[in-house]
Amino acid sequence: MLIGDLTTSGAMPAAEMLLKFAGQRQKIIAHNMANIDTPNFQPKNVDPKGFQKMLGDAIDLRRKKTGGAFGVLEWKETREIRRVGRFGGAGMDFELRPTTSGGGILHHDRNDRDLERMMQEMVENATAYRVAADLLRTQRSQLRNAIAQRVV
Amino acid sequence: MYGALDVSTSGMIAQRTRMEVIASNIANAGTIENDRGEYEPYLRRAAMFAPVSAGKGVGMGVEVIEIQIQEGATRADYRPNHPFADDDGYVQVPDIDTTVEWVNGLQASRAYEANVAAAETSKNMMAQALRLLA
Repeated sequence: MLIGDLTTSGAMPAAEMLLKFAGQRQKIIAHNMANIDTPNFQPKNVDPKGFQKMLGDAIDLRRKKTGGAFGVLEWKETREIRRVGRFGGAGMDFELRPTTSGGGILHHDRNDRDLERMMQEMVENATAYRVAADLLRTQRSQLRNAIAQRVV
Repeated sequence: MYGALDVSTSGMIAQRTRMEVIASNIANAGTIENDRGEYEPYLRRAAMFAPVSAGKGVGMGVEVIEIQIQEGATRADYRPNHPFADDDGYVQVPDIDTTVEWVNGLQASRAYEANVAAAETSKNMMAQALRLLA
């Protein structure tokens, strides 16, 4: 393993992507929440299933190519997850284009808000974010321990 | 991530503005003169919301685009001895139902709370991200 693989070893790239995804999705949820009383506003969100499938495919591909212990994740764009930046297949930056509708009932002001579902989404999203942050922190402290040649 | 706080703040500002409009409606439910002492019944106001977008489907929160003054929102009240009464003894008073205003106020207050909850969650997430450095 080369020094360049330090940041792409193990679950690190996957955790990083999850962190980015949940971070950006939080903003979308906050936007839907801010417009809870806006007439004609119909909340749109990003389906986490699409992200999970995209990430799963990328991890499978990496396992096939390198055995899975290290290497960049070559992920494919989806309708809602668009690549930004210039690193081609290896770039980790993306932006979300929310198109999935919540499918709640339409209120009189033509808003199909669903407060309980929004809250649930927010809690799940925050949990996913915490898991990703904890994973990254653990990976990082493992790396640090390995570099310092000591065992906890 | 930091944008999420801006979005929630915009929601709080919008709901607070709406609350101010509602408070003004309740306070002026019996106002029939303007500030120059002329006969001009207070007209009910309503805050109009619209989503803010940064393009490409990226939402940036909500804003109050207009405080709408509802023209003609008065009702005739029979007060024959009133100096502003017309020939039939009627005075135009603001058509404000305080019960409706209260309910709208409650709704604004709950929506404000929802935005606070979202901001709280975003804040916790930021703290998680910052702990990555520790």
